[in-house]
Amino acid sequence: MAKETLTEAIAVAKAPEDTVAKKSSSFVAWIADKGIFVFTAILILASMTFVDGFASLQNVTDLFHRAAPIGIVALGMTFVVITGNYLDLSVVAQAAAAGVILIAVSNAYNLITAFIVAFIVAIIFGLVNGIAVGYFKANAVIVTLSTTYIGLGLLRLLSGGSQVFGPFDGPIATFGTSKLGPFPYSAVVLVVVTLILTFVLSKTNFGFMVRSFGVNERSTRLAGTNTGVIVIGAFLVTSMAAMIGGFVLAAFSNTAVSNMATGYDFQALAAIIVGGTSVFGGKGSVPRTLLGVVFVSILSNVLVLSQISYGWQQIAIGSLIVFAVTVDALGRRVGKK
Amino acid sequence: MTNQTVIKVGADATGFWGKLKVALARRTEGRGVALFIVIASFVTVSQPLVFTAYQVTLGRIALIGLVALGLTAVILMGELDLSVASTLAVSGVIMTTVANQTNIAIGILAALAASVVISLVNAYFVAIVGLNSFIATLGMLFALRGLALVLSDEQPVKLENTDFGIAFGQPLVGPLTPRILIFFAVFIAIQVFVSRVKAGREFLAVGGNRQAAYDAGIPVKRRIFTGFIISGGVAALAGVVNSLERTAADPTAGSTVLLASFAAAIIGGNYLKGGKGSIVGTLIGAASLGMLQVALTISGVQVPVQEIFIGGVLLLAVLTDPSSLRAVWGSISTTFQGIKNSLAKQARD
Repeated sequence: MAKETLTEAIAVAKAPEDTVAKKSSSFVAWIADKGIFVFTAILILASMTFVDGFASLQNVTDLFHRAAPIGIVALGMTFVVITGNYLDLSVVAQAAAAGVILIAVSNAYNLITAFIVAFIVAIIFGLVNGIAVGYFKANAVIVTLSTTYIGLGLLRLLSGGSQVFGPFDGPIATFGTSKLGPFPYSAVVLVVVTLILTFVLSKTNFGFMVRSFGVNERSTRLAGTNTGVIVIGAFLVTSMAAMIGGFVLAAFSNTAVSNMATGYDFQALAAIIVGGTSVFGGKGSVPRTLLGVVFVSILSNVLVLSQISYGWQQIAIGSLIVFAVTVDALGRRVGKK
Repeated sequence: MTNQTVIKVGADATGFWGKLKVALARRTEGRGVALFIVIASFVTVSQPLVFTAYQVTLGRIALIGLVALGLTAVILMGELDLSVASTLAVSGVIMTTVANQTNIAIGILAALAASVVISLVNAYFVAIVGLNSFIATLGMLFALRGLALVLSDEQPVKLENTDFGIAFGQPLVGPLTPRILIFFAVFIAIQVFVSRVKAGREFLAVGGNRQAAYDAGIPVKRRIFTGFIISGGVAALAGVVNSLERTAADPTAGSTVLLASFAAAIIGGNYLKGGKGSIVGTLIGAASLGMLQVALTISGVQVPVQEIFIGGVLLLAVLTDPSSLRAVWGSISTTFQGIKNSLAKQARD
């Protein structure tokens, strides 16, 4: 953390103190904070006007189905990002593992056993990541990169790398296709997870510690908090959310395979950053991430509807991450002044 | 930290053993050497074929190590370039596409030029905008992977001049293929640059204490640009070599290389926070991983198991980093101190 502040200090010290720069940069600060509301509104209006088939009921349901799993993963990962530990790349392995376990174990035994096994796996993931980052102070990107490979390797080895299917009339299939009014069950899960995590982050002691840790790790530790436990907690929340996301994803198609969550790490990160949660830690909220999820999902939905190729979609998401982080960094610099 | 250690040990640096101690305390390759010895002895006992077929092993080491060497230049400055994996894919696609229309030399030049552009963009975000390099290059990793897919139309691009590609895979000097020769050439070039050239030596200063480096008049931003150009350029070179050897460019290449090259650099003792590390360490790391991979392949171990092994080695390397061990030791001793204090308090009451 100290290094970023240092580079920033250098940059600030070198920047000329003229009013024009200040004016434009306070605009950047405003964009970094409130821009997502404007951008989401513009995106929705523009896609309703210009994209054929966007406003149809079928497409909206489809949008919910696609947004729900990635959204749940992103909501959980917000905790890790707020602690200032960049992100959890291993959600790719975690969501896939949860999905495969849900279907394979419930085929072989029953649903309850599947839930228990998936829960244990999620706890193990969260603990390994959390202990490595929280107590060993290791870099979160490298740690979660390695746990991704270990997890995916184990998953491929155990599942044989093949797709698993659930029975057509099983409870998982019913859950995946049922609706509450116009909303599929997965969207309901998304809302419930949002409510729970919002409560945890903004109203509980743990949530306060997570935010405090993100603002200033040292002062949080000196105030007598066991900071290692806070980091482990943040990773456990992410693991739980990734597990639920994997369940929802598997239930939607009633199948699961080890590479089904590919790209979830980046898309979740894009949603979190676009929502206005800072990668520098300390600043952000769960509802903001939900808004970011809405934005990213609509964007990729529009890209799919407009028959843009997969490559261009990846370019779009990648540029979005870089753009959002740039705005965040510039906005912060103004705040420091 | 570095200076303190050197001064402390240097105080009793008399005689042969004292000097040896000083020399060892200044090196960072300890873990790399330990792992190398463990893997080498394990391989000697169980799979001596790894040494007999040393051409294969060297080829694998070169594959992992090439990207890792470039990456080390950036890591020494405390930055990270995650986009190397996609740079590798993009440059391979550009090289084959251009080579199919003109000739291979122009194709290689085009790929290297593209990598310079990519590196400039990376370095701009890190040095000028002041973004965290992990996040900036993560976005670039994703965007460039998309670019590789767009450029190649989501299909592997075949190299039409297959004769050259096949010739490229053949031994050139003695038993050494061009890939291995390029690897050693890059190793020597970067090693000389980092340890003998002023600009390269300043990389370590930038990584150790950026403010101090800035105050001492080192052009910090220019060094960051140089570092990213080295890592991007070497990754592009690796992409070109891969595509030539396979006579086709795969737009999805590079994801396994990313893990292995990070593992090689970190095992080699390069501090992710910058300021400490060496190119030799990366070479040792790459050699250990290369031997491990070849041994696993020869033993007929499945690919997922190999991924688990490499991932496990990387995790172990990160956790046994001296700064990690210090952190965990600190929190353990604090916990015990707390327990001791509360016990003492209870006894008082």
